[in-house]
Amino acid sequence: MTIDDKKLRRKIRMNAIILGLVAVAFFVTFIVLTALKG
Amino acid sequence: MSATAADIQDSHDHHGPAHTGIKRWLFTTNHKDIGTLYLVFSLIMLFVGGAMALIIRAELFQPGLQFVDPDFFNQMTTLHALIMVFGMIMPAFAGFANWMIPLMIGAPDMALPRLNNWSFWLLPCAVILLASTLFMPGGAPASGWTMYPPLVLQTGDAFPFLIFAVHLLGISSIMAAINIIVTILNMRTPSMSLLQMPLFVWSWLITAYLLIAVMPVFAGGVTMLLMDQFFGTSFFQAAGGGDPVLFQHIFWFFGHPEVYIIILPSFGIISQVIPTFSRKPLFGHDAMVYATASIAFLSFIVWAHHMFTVGMPLAGQMFFMLSTMLIAIPTGVKIFNWTATMWEGSLSFETPMLFAIAFLFLFTIGGFSGLMMAMAPLDFQYHDTYFIVAHFHYVLVPGALFGAIAGCYYWLPKWTGHMYDERLGKIHFWLSAIFVNLTFFPQHFVGLAGMPRRIPDYAVQFTNFNAMSSIGAFGFGFSQLLLVYVIYKCVKSGQKATAEVWDNPEGLEWTVPSPAPHHTFDEAPLYTPRHH
Repeated sequence: MTIDDKKLRRKIRMNAIILGLVAVAFFVTFIVLTALKG
Repeated sequence: MSATAADIQDSHDHHGPAHTGIKRWLFTTNHKDIGTLYLVFSLIMLFVGGAMALIIRAELFQPGLQFVDPDFFNQMTTLHALIMVFGMIMPAFAGFANWMIPLMIGAPDMALPRLNNWSFWLLPCAVILLASTLFMPGGAPASGWTMYPPLVLQTGDAFPFLIFAVHLLGISSIMAAINIIVTILNMRTPSMSLLQMPLFVWSWLITAYLLIAVMPVFAGGVTMLLMDQFFGTSFFQAAGGGDPVLFQHIFWFFGHPEVYIIILPSFGIISQVIPTFSRKPLFGHDAMVYATASIAFLSFIVWAHHMFTVGMPLAGQMFFMLSTMLIAIPTGVKIFNWTATMWEGSLSFETPMLFAIAFLFLFTIGGFSGLMMAMAPLDFQYHDTYFIVAHFHYVLVPGALFGAIAGCYYWLPKWTGHMYDERLGKIHFWLSAIFVNLTFFPQHFVGLAGMPRRIPDYAVQFTNFNAMSSIGAFGFGFSQLLLVYVIYKCVKSGQKATAEVWDNPEGLEWTVPSPAPHHTFDEAPLYTPRHH
């Protein structure tokens, strides 16, 4: 399956990147908060 | 919003898989093949984790130490949990998600097919890494799946492998979650609005958000353990100014949403099965969506009910007690709505429905013990006893696992093109239902009587109920061999299944032939809701 619609492909990529960044943000935040608590 | 699925072109000229043989499975980007991979993997893991459970129950059949030394027993309890949670139940529901979400929303495939392949193939690598620790000096991790420091830092050679395996498992889940959200939000057939989506799709949409929020927190927690062990930090070591209890907070901030990540897809499957066999629409469809979303939201603010005995201030205990009681409300809404769906319905009791009804009753029992544990002062007695073990096994086994099995029987004809053997399915159900209760109900009593968790030997007054529980465990374990046979027989032979399979079921998956062709919905289907 190939998605020919460039706009849709860009939207999917954007969505995926944003969600990935959210995941990274949770990862980093908790480590930073823990370090600050210590 | 999603005028998108119609623009998707199928660039293959053929209609089967791109490769044959082993290459087909290694390199597949097809959601059905990847779904199959996840489901077969999780079925194998059911028996791997199950074998560990049987080693545990064999040792616990009688007081005294008969078969294994205490450290190996602890390795078994640890690995049993890690494999069942991360290797069995989560991949099982990921398999259902992969197979069914595109079919249910009229999409040709998942949004990110190559990421999908990676999400799956990380899993066998991670599990092999974890299982290989059994053969290392010092053995597998034996700290419990909760990995509390300082005990976990005494794991030995296996420690970095445990952390790495956990990271791989987490990355797999996060990538799968991203794929699911992006698929649901971008690739729905244009005629299907969000609130028109089936409950199974909604459950997974919400579960995917939970995964993205909390798996990284778990990863952060275990990374900090790794840093404490190897890089001289003191996140969780009191001597360096850190706090071991802080790990517990981080772990359970992940851990409580994790248990909802496990159960919500099961709720979704039950919401598909019960209306079909009641020949009635799901009672309160929108309320079910809002209840699921409420459960997910509330799951972030209850974590410390796993830690009532650590010495929390009273205000903290009160808060978590009240929030935990609150989460019972939307869960109750769901139980009542499933029951109301059956009320005055034209019921038939095929195997999926039997598992779904057993779920309703037995998950509720697990919920009741959960409500008892929500009361902080009462939890002081229950904590770290078999009462807890009974509770979570009731919500996980006749809860999550029965939901998965119900889904398996429900959709097997769609996947294979054959009806499964109904007689054998019913036998499988009754054996499972009887033995699961024999295994776990007595554990409530020994827990209340004071038997602690995670012990290979126990005081002699707990003998009779432990013996019952062990017999039940072996019965339950061997009954699952019947499931494997039913699946095998269904794949190979059986009465040909129609596209609809059941009696006028609702959903786009029943509009494609059985077995579903390798590629479906090359053009966006028109979705016409039956109700609303």
